[in-house]
Formats: sequence, C-alpha cells, structure tokens
Amino acid sequence: MRIKFWGVRGSIPCPGPQTVKYGGNTACIELRFDDIDRLIIIDAGSGIRELGNYMMANDLPKGSIETDLYLSHTHWDHIMGFPFFVPLYLPTTKIRVHGPVTHEVDDTLETIVGGQMTYRYFPVRHVELAANIAYDHLKEDRFDLGDGITLTTKYLNHPILCLGYRFEYKGKVFCTSYDTEPYTNIFCTDPSDPSYDEGMDVEGEVVAKEQNQVMEQFLEGADFVVYDAQYTQAEYEDSKVGWGHSSMEYVVETAKRCRIKKMALFHHEPLRTDKQMDDLAKDYCCSGEDGGPEIFFAREGMEIIL
Amino acid sequence: MNSDLMDSNDSQVTKIQKYIDRMPSLSTTVTKVLEVCNTPNASPNDLNRVISLDPVLTGQVLKLINSAYYSLPNQISSLARAIIMLGLNTVKNLALSTAIISTIGKHDSFKSLPMDDFWSHSICVGVTAKALAAQQNIPIIEREEYFVAGMLHDLGKIPLNNCFAAEYVQALQLAELEQGPLIHAEKLLVGIDHGLSGRLIGEKWQLSDTMIQSFCFHHDPASASSGNRSLVATVALANLYANIYEIGSAGDLFPKASFLLDILDIVGLTWQDLGPLYNVVCGEIDKAQIFLKVAEKDRNEN
Repeated sequence: MRIKFWGVRGSIPCPGPQTVKYGGNTACIELRFDDIDRLIIIDAGSGIRELGNYMMANDLPKGSIETDLYLSHTHWDHIMGFPFFVPLYLPTTKIRVHGPVTHEVDDTLETIVGGQMTYRYFPVRHVELAANIAYDHLKEDRFDLGDGITLTTKYLNHPILCLGYRFEYKGKVFCTSYDTEPYTNIFCTDPSDPSYDEGMDVEGEVVAKEQNQVMEQFLEGADFVVYDAQYTQAEYEDSKVGWGHSSMEYVVETAKRCRIKKMALFHHEPLRTDKQMDDLAKDYCCSGEDGGPEIFFAREGMEIIL
Repeated sequence: MNSDLMDSNDSQVTKIQKYIDRMPSLSTTVTKVLEVCNTPNASPNDLNRVISLDPVLTGQVLKLINSAYYSLPNQISSLARAIIMLGLNTVKNLALSTAIISTIGKHDSFKSLPMDDFWSHSICVGVTAKALAAQQNIPIIEREEYFVAGMLHDLGKIPLNNCFAAEYVQALQLAELEQGPLIHAEKLLVGIDHGLSGRLIGEKWQLSDTMIQSFCFHHDPASASSGNRSLVATVALANLYANIYEIGSAGDLFPKASFLLDILDIVGLTWQDLGPLYNVVCGEIDKAQIFLKVAEKDRNEN
C-alpha cells in the first residue's frame, strides 16, 4: 500500500505563507495498490483538486480512470473539493462514492454530496457531470473489496455519523481515525445537580469505556494510522470537548496502547502555523527508534509506503 | 407467522400494521420534545429524559437506532447507550423527526382512552418496574431496561384505541360491567388484544425479544421465556401496582388478586416489600410532570 497526503488540514483550507510546510488543504488521502493497479481515495476535501490534476496528467494517459472514494463523513471540509475533482467531468471515468449518511430528512449520499453542485453554489449541476458515478450508503461492517483487499468500517465519535476505515492488504494494515474524539460519559455526574440520574451516569461511564475499547481494537496492531489530533490536551479541555476532535496527548498514548507502528497526526487546526507545528512536533512526535510507535505530523505531499 | 396471529382476523392485523407506521407520540410530551431537541446546547440528560417519558417516541427512536440504517452489530435497548454511541445530534434528529409526526395526528390519536391517564399509567409502570428491579438487586445498568419495558408495556392499546375506536369503547365498558380484565373484553369485542397488538408493534419496530415479551405477556408472565420471565413478571407486578393504587389508567380497573400472588412468587417479593414504593413512584411522576409542563407553561406565557 502506498499512502499519499493531498490535504491534511481540518475545518477550512488555510493557504498562506504560514502553512507552506504542512499545507493548507483539507482532508484528502490517496491510497494506491500498485501491484494490482487499484486506487482508493479517502475524503474529498480541497486537497482532492490537486490529486485530480495529478490523475489527469499521470493516470489518464494509461487508460480511463476508475476509483473508489471513501468519505469519512459529509461535513463540508471533507466534501468541498468534490466539484473541483476534474476526472468527474470525463465520460470515461468510473467512480464509486461511499460514505455514511446522518439521519436528517431522508437525504441520500448523492443528494448530500451532489447538493453542493446546484447553480446557486456552483456553475455545473451534479446531473451534468459526465462521469459514471455510483453512491453507496456505508455503515459499520466488513467488506471484501476484491484483489485481496478487505475493509472494516467503524463509527467514530463526532457530532454527525462518521466512519473510520481499516484497510488490510497482504498482511499490512492501514487505518483512518478522524474526525473523532474519545468517548466520554456525557451525562451529568454531579449528584447534587437536579437533573442527575444515577442510571444514566453509571451507564454513561460503562458505555464510554466500552466504546473506547472497541475503538482500540479497531486500531490494534495497525502498521499505519492517520489519527485526528486537532488540539492539544489543554485546548481540548479548555473549550473543545464535544467538537468531535482528539488531543495529541490522547492519540499518542492510544498509539502506544494499540501497538500502532506508525502514526500521522492529522486534521490540523487551521490556525496552527508551520512554526507552531514544528514546536509541537518536538513534544509529540518521535522516531520510533525506542521500539514505540513512529509519530509525525501529516504533511501535504508526504508519502508512506507499507 | 405465529399461530396466534393467524387465528386473528387478517384484516385487523393489516389495519394495525398500517397504523403503526404513522403512530404519533403522545401530545403530553411533544412540546417538551420539540423544545429540548431545538435547543442548540440541549443537555444529554434532558434529551434522554424527554424521550424516555414518551412510550411511542422511545419505541420509535429505538426502532431507528436498531434499523438497517445504522446496521449496528448488537441490539441497543437503552437511550443512554444510543446517545453515546451515535451522538447527541443523531438522537435529537431521530426524536425530532418522530415527534413531528405527532403534531400532525395528535388530535385523533386517543379516541377512547384518555391520553393523560394513559401516560400517567405508563410512567407509573416504568418507574415502579425500575424500583422493583432495584429491590431485586438487579445491577443499576440493567434497570433502565425495566423502566423502558414498563413504560412501553401497553403500547398495543394505542392502535386498538385508534383503529377500532367504537369496539374499543365497548370493550372498556364490558370490562367495567364485568369487573374483569380488559384483555378478555378486547379479544371478545375487537377480536385482537393489546398483547398481540403490542407484538405487532415490537416486531415491526424490531425491538428486542425482551421488550416484545413484556408487551405480550405482562398479563401472563408464566408464558414468557425463562430468560425474560423475571423482567416480564416485574413489569406485570408494576402494572398491577399501578392499577391497584389507581395511578393513571389504561382501562384495566379490576386487577385479579390471585394473579398478584403468582407474580409475587415469580419475582420473589412480598406485597409488604412494595409498601415503600408509593412515595418514590408518586415523586417520580410529579418530577416528570413538572419537567414536561415547564415547556407548556413557557409557551403559554409567550
């Protein structure tokens, strides 16, 4: 498996002189299986525009484009690049879009993702796209993707339905775990509060602990994990609990507990400058030479080979 | 299909099954549901509470959570678990989409049973079943299932009350005249009783087997499977308790004393053990009424 980052930022693109090193595009990851000529894309944040351009220059000359796009969820920063993904405009392109759908008004994945392509938002309507596009409402499950690739999906802890992905191929494991935060007991724990309920409190503790364990089983022993680490623990505790993003401290400890070999901290806070990231790297990143996980901040253009 | 259902009139079953899809939540709770779900910072405790105070809404939300839409590997029978696993927003959306149905149909949702009395009866059985679970030393984390089973046990009466309103009025009158159980009068005059009607709901909503058995067998817990018998008997006892003390009403006014002894035997409690419950149960119902009425009052003042 060959993994390349085309967008690593959370929330909104933030190009500029202070984000040149790590990059300003929102989430997009390319996953290549070179020996079987398969391409999977994870998320269609603004980074997918550059990936599309690369595919037009490098893949198209070898034959028509066929790919699967797996969306972690449909928040805007993860789908905003979709209309700018040039292969969608070719009649020869075949693309299957997979992702979870949050129960709202019986919307389908097609109307949620394609809904940004109406004249009020964009000059081309979704129905006018030339490519052959199929949509697949994805749930928590295990899938055989053919050619020896398996995929396990897992609901994450985010304000809307969001999936983590675990790809396995030839004994190697690659996981994505964003956007998410640790499960906590969100029910009132103060017995003096009028709304306190002992049953909810106890169950909240048990379920949160159990779900964190399930999450760790999902990541267990992975060769490479891309993990949401938008905040520091201090930032998280100060005002970001419940926003659906993790702290660097938490994911670093999780990587150790789950015996993850390599981990990219991902979904960077858009306000974070390159200088600040370099400073944080001194505290949170490590080479893995001590036998623990190798941990680094994901950078646009970075490539990992498993 | 089960032989009981085959014995029943097919057209009645079909009518109930069609009704289940558009069964509204109770107007007693709907104002508060809308208020809590439309509050941006709704507390998880309030969300859990407001859903759990409405048997229809609870059932519908559990139905959606356990549906193919999420394809979760294990059955979820608790709202608290659902709120942590799927998130506050998801459960808010589910509750809102269900509650909205009730604003369309609420005026004709209760034709012969008074809705507020039905609600009081349901919550009394829920609260009592949970308190009885505590007396049996059931672990705290499992007690919520007793509450939900108690709260939902009479759901089957809602379709009967709506689809066969005239016959249901007669059944209520017959039960009163004979001073006997409503379930017999239902079978005689409607042709289908609320146990079977409850099962139709439970099966259509894909609720847990425990829940379905408590709908079906709360008048006959000995028929419940061995794994569910204790919970079903606890709900049956809570139901008798509510009827004996006349806390709310779901039309069953004449509980049988001999039946009470059988159930106490299954549950392993004596009638004296139930003495301290009265104040707890009434206190919980009062708290729930205050919680729900706050929204009503705020709206009226505006």
